[in-house]
Amino acid sequence: MNASPSHLDLLEAESIHIFREAAAQFRKPVLMYSIGKDSTVLLHLARKAFWPQKLPFPLLHIDTTWKFKDMIAFRDKTVKNFGLDLIVHTNADGLVKSINPIDYAPSIYTDVMKTAALKQALDKHAFDAAFGGARRDEEASRAKERVFSFRAAGHRWDPRKQRPELWNLLNGRLGTGETVRVFPLSNWTERDVWRYIIREKLDVVPLYLAAERPTILRNGQLLMVDDERLKPKAGEEIKMRSIRFRTLGCYPLTAAVESAAADIESVVAETLSARTSERQGRLIDHDQAGAMEKKKQEGYF
Amino acid sequence: MTAVGALKKKTENHVQPDVRLGSSTAVARDLDGIVHILTCGSVDDGKSTLIGRLLWDASDLYDDQRATIEKSDRRAGGTDQPDFSLLVDGLVAEREQGITIDIAWRYFDTEKRRIVIIDSPGHEQYTRNMASGASHADIAIMLVDARSGIKKQTRRHAAILDLVGVKRVILAVNKMDLVDWSEEKFRKIEADFRTLSWKFGFWEALVIPVSAVTGDNVATRSTAMPWYKGDYLLEHLEKLPSRGSLSGGAFRLPVQAVLRDGRDFRGLAGSISSGGIKVGDIVVDALSGKSARVERIATMDGDLPSATSGQAVSLQLDADIDVARGAVLSSLESRPIAAHSIEARMVWLSETAFDPRAGYLLRTATDLAPISTLEIKALLELETLTARPSSACGVNDIAVAHIALGRAVAVDLFSDLSGTGNFLVVDAITGASLAAGVVTAVNAKPDSRETHQFVLTREMLARGLCRDLGTTGAEREEFLRRANEAALILRAAGVSVKIEAIPPPNDDLDPGL
Repeated sequence: MNASPSHLDLLEAESIHIFREAAAQFRKPVLMYSIGKDSTVLLHLARKAFWPQKLPFPLLHIDTTWKFKDMIAFRDKTVKNFGLDLIVHTNADGLVKSINPIDYAPSIYTDVMKTAALKQALDKHAFDAAFGGARRDEEASRAKERVFSFRAAGHRWDPRKQRPELWNLLNGRLGTGETVRVFPLSNWTERDVWRYIIREKLDVVPLYLAAERPTILRNGQLLMVDDERLKPKAGEEIKMRSIRFRTLGCYPLTAAVESAAADIESVVAETLSARTSERQGRLIDHDQAGAMEKKKQEGYF
Repeated sequence: MTAVGALKKKTENHVQPDVRLGSSTAVARDLDGIVHILTCGSVDDGKSTLIGRLLWDASDLYDDQRATIEKSDRRAGGTDQPDFSLLVDGLVAEREQGITIDIAWRYFDTEKRRIVIIDSPGHEQYTRNMASGASHADIAIMLVDARSGIKKQTRRHAAILDLVGVKRVILAVNKMDLVDWSEEKFRKIEADFRTLSWKFGFWEALVIPVSAVTGDNVATRSTAMPWYKGDYLLEHLEKLPSRGSLSGGAFRLPVQAVLRDGRDFRGLAGSISSGGIKVGDIVVDALSGKSARVERIATMDGDLPSATSGQAVSLQLDADIDVARGAVLSSLESRPIAAHSIEARMVWLSETAFDPRAGYLLRTATDLAPISTLEIKALLELETLTARPSSACGVNDIAVAHIALGRAVAVDLFSDLSGTGNFLVVDAITGASLAAGVVTAVNAKPDSRETHQFVLTREMLARGLCRDLGTTGAEREEFLRRANEAALILRAAGVSVKIEAIPPPNDDLDPGL
């Protein structure tokens, strides 16, 4: 009885605890499902937390209409396999105005098609709690995020209004107009997410594995041409390269890395010895200093 | 099979642990547990620099993180070294203010294990954040400046660490380079710290001379201080017992939820806060006194023969004892107390001061109960560790309090079982966490002086407020929720109020009558 649990055992148990606390305390929670590896782990932990009961909340996917095709196929397969309830929301207004990631600055596009869309969906369904896959190791401003992150009316995040969290007591009693974001993966690292995917034999979107894909090189970043909407500019040519992605989002905003790692073990081996952090691949983060924190105050994850 | 072995035993759909530890994926191995380290100190003691230095020298930082630090034109106080504190200071607001205003969490892996660094602010106005950071820590590093030694703040920090249950501390005497690596200066501070620390319940208190800027005795042994023979910082941190390896104490499972599969499964889900349980054991609900035998310890990865502290499980019992969220399961021999009032020490966290007429709730592991009276008896003077009588309490105060509850709640003494002996005081209106505390004494009988309480009876509730409710589990929960809310409103109006206990359920009978 004296062997200690591994660090993944401890992290898993903590995440399950968080899921159960949130589901018990909030009236109408939702799981924000972004299809990526963190969402995959998040969903797996949620299923463990409530097994053998059906998930007591639906999944919400904010579809910007610019996600990789492989992501949408993976999403639909996952929902079918596990018998989940999925809500897909797109900012119809942004669509009418053709706000897209190619012609607009990343900050404007993200604001309309992701941040505003998320707020619309949360308001429309009157969700009082939303599970997200954010981790404290992702970025400096997130190192201080709470497990229960409170948002005032209008989804505003105020660092000074966050509640102290002590021991494993999670106080989810909401004030008027308040909602909460819940982060069960708070204490996980990128490496833990991969370790856990291997340990639990979880399926991930094939884009995480290297394959020959059509790409263009733009501003020093490799972009995948997922459909005809991304057109090469003068001097750019579409070239097949063996690439994979460390992080998945909208395809024109997500840079690939050249790699030959075609199975999950090789990807993890590369990732664990990687020399740059994963957010290097997310173009929106380089927009301005303190970009993430600013986006968080505005309601983006 | 050990409990942990059982935990790792997967169904045929899962890899065995040995397989995943195979040489091809050795980099993806599980680590041997997690150690949480709190760092605390006064504003200018160089805390962020010390952590930054530790990350710089001993962790697997990414190249882009290193490049950002080297590229910055900021340099550590008067040296040509990079400003390592940039690795830790996160929020834009605090970069502008130049002080840390919140807790930051950092993660790194040594060869053996995960180390989590909880960086807590030193500024006095943020003492509440230090208390919350400390509540997660397995060990605390307190920093002092070698030029100034122990300060009032150091005593205050030690008292907060002790209050929230930290058992191991390190005093890092920083900036030794600025006192010419003087052993004499160090020994004086060491002696002062010994005098201070024996007053607390620490199991271990180590004093290490360091320089965060130069890295001396941080991740490597200093050559400038040959007179120091003890562990350097990282060396000591790697020796600590990991969390989860100490799972002693009596069995407690605070019930979070009841899980059902729509057929015959009814699992009491929760995280084991102390001790262990195995199939066949008898568990009892302290509030109703009802007991049953554990039939299954169910998880999605298959049933377990036993489970221990820290594991998240669900227990299926051989009899339906109608336990709901808020109950604490234990063995028959060692039960939590069904408390009607508690004596406690607590840190006031909120800018809103204590108000004897306000509506408060007590949040324990998984229960939320109305407080009928919250009485502040004294404030602890942290510098002298003496209690001064007081009936008022405000932010950053540590108060001794008497808390009478609107109904019985299952708790333990914090000194016996910390996981079921701690609580939050919650504002009934805003939901804010106003105070965090530990139970120092428990009274299983209602206060005699509160015989003039107004009792919200079941009949009264069932006749009016709850007359639309039937007998299902969900409706019983709603009944209790409304009773709690009614008690809060009365309490806010100055009425001392008590809720009549919900009867042991019998699904054929009306719950209210």
